Amino acid sequence: MCDRYGAWAGCMDTVLKLDNLTKHYGPVQALDDVSLSIGPGVTGLLGPNGAGKTTLVKVLLGLVRITRGSGQVLGYDLRRQVRSIRHRVGFMPEDDCYMTGLPGVEMVRYLARLSGLPSVEALRRAHEILDYCGIEQERYRPVETYSTGMRQKLKFAQAIVHDPPLLILDEPTSGLDPEEREAMLGRVRALARRAGKAVLVSTHILPDVQAICDSVVILAQGRVRIVERLDVLSRPAAPAFHVRVFGRPEALAQRIRSEGLDVHQAADGTLTVANAEQSVADRIWSWARAVGVGIRALRPTQNSLEEIFLQAVREDDRAHP
Amino acid sequence: MPIHDLGYRSWQGQRDPGIARLWVVAQTDARLAWQSRWLRRMLLVAWLPAVYLGLAFFLFEQALTQPTALRMAAEFLGQFPQSEVVGEALQTEDRAQARHQVWSWLLLTFFRYPQGLLMALVVGLVAPRLIARDVQSRAFLLYFSRPLARLEYLLGKLLVVCGYVMMITTLPALALYGVGVFLSPPEFDVVASTWDLPLRILAASAVLMIPTATLALAFSSLTTRTVYAGFAWFAYWVLGLVSYVMLVTSVDKLDSETWVLLSLYHTLGRVQHWIFGIPLSLGGQTSFSDVLAPAALLAGMAVVSLMVLFRRISSPMRI
Repeated sequence: MCDRYGAWAGCMDTVLKLDNLTKHYGPVQALDDVSLSIGPGVTGLLGPNGAGKTTLVKVLLGLVRITRGSGQVLGYDLRRQVRSIRHRVGFMPEDDCYMTGLPGVEMVRYLARLSGLPSVEALRRAHEILDYCGIEQERYRPVETYSTGMRQKLKFAQAIVHDPPLLILDEPTSGLDPEEREAMLGRVRALARRAGKAVLVSTHILPDVQAICDSVVILAQGRVRIVERLDVLSRPAAPAFHVRVFGRPEALAQRIRSEGLDVHQAADGTLTVANAEQSVADRIWSWARAVGVGIRALRPTQNSLEEIFLQAVREDDRAHP
Repeated sequence: MPIHDLGYRSWQGQRDPGIARLWVVAQTDARLAWQSRWLRRMLLVAWLPAVYLGLAFFLFEQALTQPTALRMAAEFLGQFPQSEVVGEALQTEDRAQARHQVWSWLLLTFFRYPQGLLMALVVGLVAPRLIARDVQSRAFLLYFSRPLARLEYLLGKLLVVCGYVMMITTLPALALYGVGVFLSPPEFDVVASTWDLPLRILAASAVLMIPTATLALAFSSLTTRTVYAGFAWFAYWVLGLVSYVMLVTSVDKLDSETWVLLSLYHTLGRVQHWIFGIPLSLGGQTSFSDVLAPAALLAGMAVVSLMVLFRRISSPMRI
């Protein structure tokens, strides 16, 4: 159990652990025997609509009761220690939530006070966090006048104002322009890497996951399909390389084939050298020099997250039509 | 980017205890309600009846000590409803008993007539927006992802309404009692014979506040539009009052005590009569059995309203 409120790093190896967790809404089974364990770092929570992501987040916050199973968040029991969990979790909801009538800084201060920060300290901290989130003079305007992007930043600010060791972010980049999106992802990355926060990001935007996540959880129809580190998932079953060249790729392809390796040429000229170990990479350079073509790019192939996601969801559809 | 931006810094300080959350909710909403110019005007106006009744306390105390002032006091006090209480009280030899009876009657008059109506207006200005606004802006997820229980949230909101109602009922009533003690002869007997009145004021305030605040908040929780919640509150109040008055005045031999439950205003009035020990008619008695039905209705209203509130507050989390 982590007694500290703020920094997480080094406190425990497991941020959250769920065992056979099931949640029914009447006849609808939102979560079905979910068992998973998540460690520090940034974890992406992926799944199609209705997969149970929002229910899982609500379960973690103790907002809905578990039908069956058990779980721990930061070492606190999901059923009995909800208040302790909420002290240590910062939640950024997907919904457009705000408190009408309050200026931005007052809203962040209010929520800081609800997390137990003393009045004056809550105001100081609210200003500090709004600075960090890039909300400047707009902080004195009522929140109902904010644009979608501003509200998104405000929701992020209120999630971190009480310095929680675990952040649960539901669609953090939704409604942000490209520049703000990049800034938001940078903040999440910095909080995880420098401030030692554990972060659970629920999102549909796969490039966001690839940009910031260390691990991925894929849910489909209330069941966990994949829990794995992103670098492990991205690694193909058999190592291969993608090669893009200046000049005629056919000549290089023929030379590689003559060395007994399997090579495919895509319509855009990219060559895929299958079943190739790392040592082959050095030899490809020399073969290219020999046939008189220049190498523009040579990189190991990776499984795309999109393919992994679609495959996981389709497998689940086939298994449970 | 501000020049003093230092990036993210962790925070390690002492956190406030859990009970403070309830106060934080109440404080913030009270401050938001205070932004209403109409509410501020209303609170100012709500003290005027207390000033007027303060004069009544003064004249009554004068009449007790100076027989020459009796006529003027009788004329002034005679304008209030059930003023026969004064005549009855002055006929008794026991001055302490007379004082207790007239002070109780004056305080009842204060609660029953001016403040009974002003309270409806103040509750109608404050309560409708308290929860409807949170439903509309989906703020529940922000509240309940914090270490804040639903009961604390609800009590915080109730405190706001009760606080404003107390500002126009309990505080001026206690001030009136203080004026009475101040104007009476400096004898311990005065306090000894009227010590129960502050407690009766608190009881009358609770009877006034709890059912009305919970009902108004329940209306507020049922809609996302403040205006609908306000309309429901005033409609319930006015329609009940008008229906009861029309029934009593137009139907002969109507059992008014049966139909009194139609009107929230009159239901509250019955219980307040019992609390201050003033019978509805001269020479009558006040017993709890007479107010059992109104008291049960008010208690039932509070319980049902609280159930509605809990259900509505929990509903966003059930999705």
